[in-house]
Amino acid sequence: MSGIPELLVLRLLSRQEMYGYELARAIRESTRQAISLGEGVLYPALHAMESRGFVKTRRRTVSGRTRVYYAITSGGNRRLGELSGEWRRIAGGVRALLEGT
Amino acid sequence: MTTERFEGLSQRLLRAGIAPRHVKRLVAEIEAHFADLVAELRSAGLSQAESESQAAVRLGTEEVLIANILAHPELRSWARQRPWLAFVLLPLLALAVQFVLSMLAAVGVIVFSTQVLGITSLHPGPVPWVVRGLQAYGVWIAPVAAAGAACFLAVRSGAPIIWPIVGCTLVALLGAATNASFEWSPAGPRGVLSGGIGLHFPDLGLTSSLRTILTILTVLIPVLWLRRRRRELSSLP
Repeated sequence: MSGIPELLVLRLLSRQEMYGYELARAIRESTRQAISLGEGVLYPALHAMESRGFVKTRRRTVSGRTRVYYAITSGGNRRLGELSGEWRRIAGGVRALLEGT
Repeated sequence: MTTERFEGLSQRLLRAGIAPRHVKRLVAEIEAHFADLVAELRSAGLSQAESESQAAVRLGTEEVLIANILAHPELRSWARQRPWLAFVLLPLLALAVQFVLSMLAAVGVIVFSTQVLGITSLHPGPVPWVVRGLQAYGVWIAPVAAAGAACFLAVRSGAPIIWPIVGCTLVALLGAATNASFEWSPAGPRGVLSGGIGLHFPDLGLTSSLRTILTILTVLIPVLWLRRRRRELSSLP
C-alpha cells in the first residue's frame, strides 16, 4: 500500500502539471473520496519523487501567488508503468480471491 | 516567509537533519496549501476559526507531517546522509589543505620579500614574524579550525555526536603529528631558504600530546555545551 500516493500522483501528473493543492483536490475527486490522505503527506512524497527524477518543478505566479507546479518526467512515466502493473497484479489477485475463482 | 503557525515545524525539521532547501520549500508549500484550504472552507460558509481548524485536520498534525517527511531519507541534508564524509573525511582533508596552503604562503612571503622587495636575511624586517605566524597557523590553528567547523556543522544539523567526536579526535591526532619548519639563513646575498614538513605518527611526545589535547578541548567543550543548550531549548514547551 506504500506506493499508492506515488501511483496516484504520477497518474494525475501524467495528464497535466499541477501544484500541491490541485493534486490533493484531484486525488479526492478522481478516487471519489475513497482514498483520503493527510494532504500534507503529499509534499514529502513530491519532494522525494523530484529527488529520484520522477517529477520536475517550476514556479509560476498565479493571481499574485507563487505556486510550485509539478510535472512528470520520462523517468516518472516509466515508474508509473511499473507501479500500475504492480497494482493491477495485486488488484487482480484480490479480485480473484474475493470472487472465489 | 514562514508564519508563526509553521515556524515550529520548520525548526523541528531542521533539527531532524532535513536539508534547509527542502525545509524552506516544504514549509512554504504546506503554508500555501493551508491558506488554500481555509479559503475553500470559508467559501463553503464556515467561519475563519472553523475553517482554520478543519484545514489543520486535513493537512495532518505537525507530528504526522514530521513523521512523513522523516520517512524519506533522501530529503535529509548531505551531511546527515553521509556523516562519515562530512564530519570525518572532510575535516581531515580541510586540515591537510590548510596546512599545505599556510606553508605555501610562508614560502611565498619569503620569495616575494627577497625577489620583489629586495629584503635580505640580514635585515629581514617583519618577514620572520609573518612566516612564524603562518607556521603557527598551520600547526596550531588549522586543526582547531577544521575540527571546529565540522563540529559546528554537526550541532547545527543535529547529527549524532559520535561522528564529530571521531572526526575531531582524528584531526587532533593528525594535526599534532604534523610539523613544519623554515630556516632563512644569512648565507649568500639574499639568504638561503630551507624548509621541512614532517609527519611523525604515532607521536607520543609531550608537545604533540599537548597539541592533541588542546585541539580536542578547544573544540569539543564548547560544542558539547552548545549541543546541550540546544537540547534544553528544544525541550522547552
